[in-house]
Amino acid sequence: MRNKRFVNFASNGTSSFLILYLFISILIIGCGKMEKPKDNLVLLPIEDDQTISFKLWFKVGSQNDPKGKEGIAALTADLIAEGSTQTNSYETILDKLYPIAAGYDAKVDKEMTVISGRTHKDNLNEYYTLLTDAILKPAFKQEDFDRIKSNYLNYIEKQLRYASDEELGKAALYGSIFEGTTYNHLTVGSVESIKSITIDDIKKFYKQYYTNKNLLIGISGGFEKTLPEKMEKDLSSLPDTIPQQIDKPKTAPISGYNFLLIEKPCDATAISFGFPINVMRGQDDFFALTLFNSWFGEHRNSSSHLYQVIRELRGMNYGDYSYIETFLHGGYYNVPDPNNARRQQIFEVWLRPVKNENRHFVLRAALRELKNVVDNGMKKEELELTKKFLNKYALNFATTNIKRLGYAIDSKFYGIDSQGDYIELFRRKINEVTLEQVNAAIKKHIQYKNIKFAVVTRDAEQYKKDLIANTPSPIIYATPKSDAVMAEDKLIESFPLDIKPDNIKIVQVEEMFQK
Amino acid sequence: MLKKLFIIFAIGMTVMNTQAFSQKFFPLESKTFMLKNGLTVILVPMKSHSLLSYYTVVRTGSRDEYEPGHTGFAHFFEHMMFRGTKKYPGNVYDKLVTEMGANANAYTTDDLTCYHLSIASEDLEKTMELESDRFRNLFYQEREFQTESGAVYGEYRKSKTSPEFWLEEKLAGLAFAEHTYKHTTMGFEEDIAAMPKMYDYSRSFFSRYYRPENAVLLIVGDFRQDEAMRLVEKYYSPWQRGYVPPQIPKEPEQTREKSGTVKYPGKTLPILAISYKGASFDPNDKLIAAASLFCEMAFGENSDLYKKLYLQEQKVQEFGYDFGMNRDPGLWSIYSKIKKIDDLGYIRTEIDRTIKEFQTNPVSQTKLDNLKKRKKYEFLMNLDTPEKVAGKLTRIIAMTGGIAALDKHFSTIMNVNPQDIIEAAKKYFVPEKRTVLTLTGE
Repeated sequence: MRNKRFVNFASNGTSSFLILYLFISILIIGCGKMEKPKDNLVLLPIEDDQTISFKLWFKVGSQNDPKGKEGIAALTADLIAEGSTQTNSYETILDKLYPIAAGYDAKVDKEMTVISGRTHKDNLNEYYTLLTDAILKPAFKQEDFDRIKSNYLNYIEKQLRYASDEELGKAALYGSIFEGTTYNHLTVGSVESIKSITIDDIKKFYKQYYTNKNLLIGISGGFEKTLPEKMEKDLSSLPDTIPQQIDKPKTAPISGYNFLLIEKPCDATAISFGFPINVMRGQDDFFALTLFNSWFGEHRNSSSHLYQVIRELRGMNYGDYSYIETFLHGGYYNVPDPNNARRQQIFEVWLRPVKNENRHFVLRAALRELKNVVDNGMKKEELELTKKFLNKYALNFATTNIKRLGYAIDSKFYGIDSQGDYIELFRRKINEVTLEQVNAAIKKHIQYKNIKFAVVTRDAEQYKKDLIANTPSPIIYATPKSDAVMAEDKLIESFPLDIKPDNIKIVQVEEMFQK
Repeated sequence: MLKKLFIIFAIGMTVMNTQAFSQKFFPLESKTFMLKNGLTVILVPMKSHSLLSYYTVVRTGSRDEYEPGHTGFAHFFEHMMFRGTKKYPGNVYDKLVTEMGANANAYTTDDLTCYHLSIASEDLEKTMELESDRFRNLFYQEREFQTESGAVYGEYRKSKTSPEFWLEEKLAGLAFAEHTYKHTTMGFEEDIAAMPKMYDYSRSFFSRYYRPENAVLLIVGDFRQDEAMRLVEKYYSPWQRGYVPPQIPKEPEQTREKSGTVKYPGKTLPILAISYKGASFDPNDKLIAAASLFCEMAFGENSDLYKKLYLQEQKVQEFGYDFGMNRDPGLWSIYSKIKKIDDLGYIRTEIDRTIKEFQTNPVSQTKLDNLKKRKKYEFLMNLDTPEKVAGKLTRIIAMTGGIAALDKHFSTIMNVNPQDIIEAAKKYFVPEKRTVLTLTGE
């Protein structure tokens, strides 16, 4: 059984990075003996776990990329996790990790870089040396640099532009909402910025941000109690500097409906839309809004209201979801992955690809549902059902010890005093929320009048004309539908959307993420 | 360590397996038993923060779609199973599952369809009632059936944006002449388009394959074993026998190399697939185990060829293999995503050269030992949640009907020696069993 307790001295949800250094965790291990409090550790000891997990959080992300060098935070972290060290070539590292079936990788998002890894206890010594070498002694070799750069370019030029319209739509939406801010660009940068990055740039970036004062060490699993102190000491040879922190992005106000149409020869249309919201995890409105969002569009779940309207009743696509926190790689993960915490979130709707001829109808259907819930709020029985659902569904968010560690680190980011168990706190908070609070939070944070849209489609000019003219968009089904559905379709097909010609921009897919 | 003898707990259950093994690799205690109606039940208790994984493995996948014009039905059924019964119609089923906060989903492959829920332990009985009901009494009307066919076509369209899907579809069609592995799990597009008219056929598909003799119930996580056994008996005993095995055509022996090309209507790096006809899964067959180790040592992420092509020369963007473990002989494939089309011939030559080398020279004992050690730790480190444990067991259940073969499979792997690897490479990786496919973009 887990035997741990955290005391966090953070008293409020202040989001400044600097405040993170002040957070103190007190650790009680196994026998209950109190350890010396540390301000840079998150520890989740679990005695009967045969494995040990590490998460090393450096407070740097793509928001710190210098102008023209977008992608450098990701490239630096990947060179650490997938490159040679001054001790071993990358091939040798792979040779050493191979028999112990262990590894480490880097996750870089807008504000966070987390190097994570896991090993069986039997192999801790070999593994620990490799992991700490990667952090302390990266070699930044030309051949590793070329390989990873080439992967990035292929990802943008081939994968994102041509083989994953849904991810393309989502990336375009974030780019559009955060235009002109530090959140604007892809984590992997743009084609031109990646090409401009040199090894010297990487070395400079590493020196600036991979510092002892910019690091939090997370360890979970069956580790000896001397391990955290040893790791802290070993990593203390990183520079002592505190990097300058930057402000959270200020998004420009959205006026009306703004469309970015990405022209691409595709048979199906992928649609994402959204707008910024000023709610972060841990704040009171967050839990109220979480309940609304779960009802409206729980990720990859048939309980989602949008899913019911668009997929279940009408069979138009594979699924329809909404978000109040960034959800990366939604096509692969059923539940969220921690460690992409951000100070600025958006409300986002993801409509999975529909046949091109239904692109106007599906947009109207989704916006009509959004309008309905904003105008009328949630009903009591809907909230009660969603509370029951989320209370247990949340158990699935962090089933492994490394994920629990990830959530504990996110709690540090958001200034949440979760006693080392965010999921339990989440369940408790969800249960306390009232219908009045949910509907007040919807009124305060969710709206349907000022929205940005990113749409990947064929013949964008025609779509533009239809959108501006409010052309009716009746849907023709291959199979019969109930009278109730047919009657509602009549309302949806002419649901008015006020869209100005100047608010629709068309770009060719080749232009996306070029600069 | 001796495998624990299984307990006969209640009337109506028969002991399934009492064999003792010299080596036990699966570290968790488990119980396997069979109800009188032929349903196999496997219980694996483990600590898991009050969660459990509830898996129903139907040993029918796209492999069983042998009737022309009806491909894609196994996958379609994965969707239809969420439409409910007369007792619990789809919307009621959805509401109950939602109330439980269950993480419920399903997937289909060539050899199996798996329905899985991750639930709080306290909801075991409710789940069992709902799940046993829908497997016995699935009910849907033609209109719902037709609506769901739209969602299935939507899934096909979503998949078709990826070059890998185009490659898989074409490769299966080229490599197999008769066997049902010649279509993907999605099915042929023309069959998917025609699905709305196949309501009656869908009922027959359910009636023939969704039977207790063709299913395995697997429960992993926090639960009391005796309680689970009692509930299984209560809820699943009424499920009637009636399985009709599919008449799957036998694939004729391939006697010459096949090759082809496929054009992907988008931009992609070229992909080269070199596939060999493999063998049916057999946990006791040393040469099949040796063939799997050969693939890993020759083309895996620590192989000399991977390091040469990916790390040193950087001629490939991705490089790897797929060693299909199937009920019938499937494909063992080597994939290369190549940066420059001009290097295609070179990559092909390098793969051929590597195979010849393995057919001629014994691998180093140290490298083989390292691989065996990796297999052990890889397995052990991924048994930390009920979902991962259940996920690890699903395929072996589909192929063999239980989990006893798992320990046998690992024992066989641990006994492979360098000479076995030479023999396996010589037996299976020969030109006449080969299919070569190249995919290029616009």
